[in-house]
Amino acid sequence: MADDASSSSGCAGNLIDNSINQDELIMKQQREIEKEISETIPLVGELEALSSLEKEYNEDPVYLLKVKDLSSKYKYIRRTRPDGNCFFRAFSYAYLEHLLTDKSEFDKFYEIAKNSKEILVALGFSQFTVEDFYETFMEVVQRVGEQAGGSPDSLESVRAELHDKFNKQGYSDYIVVYLRLVTSGQLQTENDFYQNFIEGPRTVTEFCRQEVEPMYKESDHIHIIALSNALNVGVRVKYMDRGEGSQVSKVIAHDFPEGSKPLVHLLYRPGHYDILYA
Amino acid sequence: MAAMSPSERRLQKELMSLMKEPPPGVTVDGDQASQNLTLWTVHMEGVPGTLYEGEKFVLQFKFTNKYPFDSPEVTFIGNNIPIHPHVYSNGHICLSILTDDWSPALSVQSVCLSIVSMLSSCKEKKRPPDNSFYVKTCNKNPKKTKWWYHDDSV
Repeated sequence: MADDASSSSGCAGNLIDNSINQDELIMKQQREIEKEISETIPLVGELEALSSLEKEYNEDPVYLLKVKDLSSKYKYIRRTRPDGNCFFRAFSYAYLEHLLTDKSEFDKFYEIAKNSKEILVALGFSQFTVEDFYETFMEVVQRVGEQAGGSPDSLESVRAELHDKFNKQGYSDYIVVYLRLVTSGQLQTENDFYQNFIEGPRTVTEFCRQEVEPMYKESDHIHIIALSNALNVGVRVKYMDRGEGSQVSKVIAHDFPEGSKPLVHLLYRPGHYDILYA
Repeated sequence: MAAMSPSERRLQKELMSLMKEPPPGVTVDGDQASQNLTLWTVHMEGVPGTLYEGEKFVLQFKFTNKYPFDSPEVTFIGNNIPIHPHVYSNGHICLSILTDDWSPALSVQSVCLSIVSMLSSCKEKKRPPDNSFYVKTCNKNPKKTKWWYHDDSV
């Protein structure tokens, strides 16, 4: 919940000699890396042929096999900026893009989205902070709804508009924040269930405050399970990592919620999500 | 009047709400904040029945144009800096929501409530163990400190 978040923040200043200046240097370097990423990689990129992945793994026979496996099912990839928000950004972009061509899914989603703010306020999130993010989110959703199922020409222009919005921080980050809140709301509503997924002594609420609501915190299974359940949207994640054994050349897929029909397809590589297209 | 930026709009909204319905013992200097939305002074009273009963504190909030995506810079200022294991004598506060755990859904009001609750749950008035070293070496901006948070339930 948004208010009174002091309970979990204990404190240790910095006890080791010189460590503060060391830390300042590390933080400065961290900010420089973030700056470089934000200057060179768009929030959401253009559609690229899947073969662009091959170039990345020229010298890596295991990954090349995996790319080959992936290309039997997918033709394109759209990259997102690796800023810790990539799951939320990739998910919302891919789903809204899908809704443009699926009016009945849009109608179903619109009801869920419209009611989501009340759920958050009932959980104790403050109305006036949630409102800003909700309104921007709904503005983008409504724009998609107006055009959903339209002619190819009008779809082309609204796709361009969506792409443009997702690359403007003033829209894109608002959407990310709102989906983080919806995810947190789902985790807290189904508290008993999700507690089983949280390692260590943290409560679900503490986990939400530390790992879900703040920007730039990376998403794990639990975030995906919660968001896909909250919005009732099927997500397929293809996991491309250094798995070994007989499946070494395959890219394993996982569907969230289990057994759902996936409308959003994401590629996971350690620490990062991009969008996949058939 | 020039159009407000998103951060100014948000701050304006927060200021109105904090002036209209402040949490108990908290008052914002509305005149000063309206003149400069990026610098607020908040007065805070020690909660009756706690170690800080009867004391008065002053908090300073500084905002960048990236607020609420950037957290506010919050320090105690003035003559009476609370003696507390998470508050350094230069006014810097070690509180995770001010850096790592900041979320754009938090607000000045939720920061004030967290600070009130941090003070109220204190069992022994003392400075952080590394106070003198930290105060000598730290950056003026507490957000440039790499804080090491751990739950010691103080």
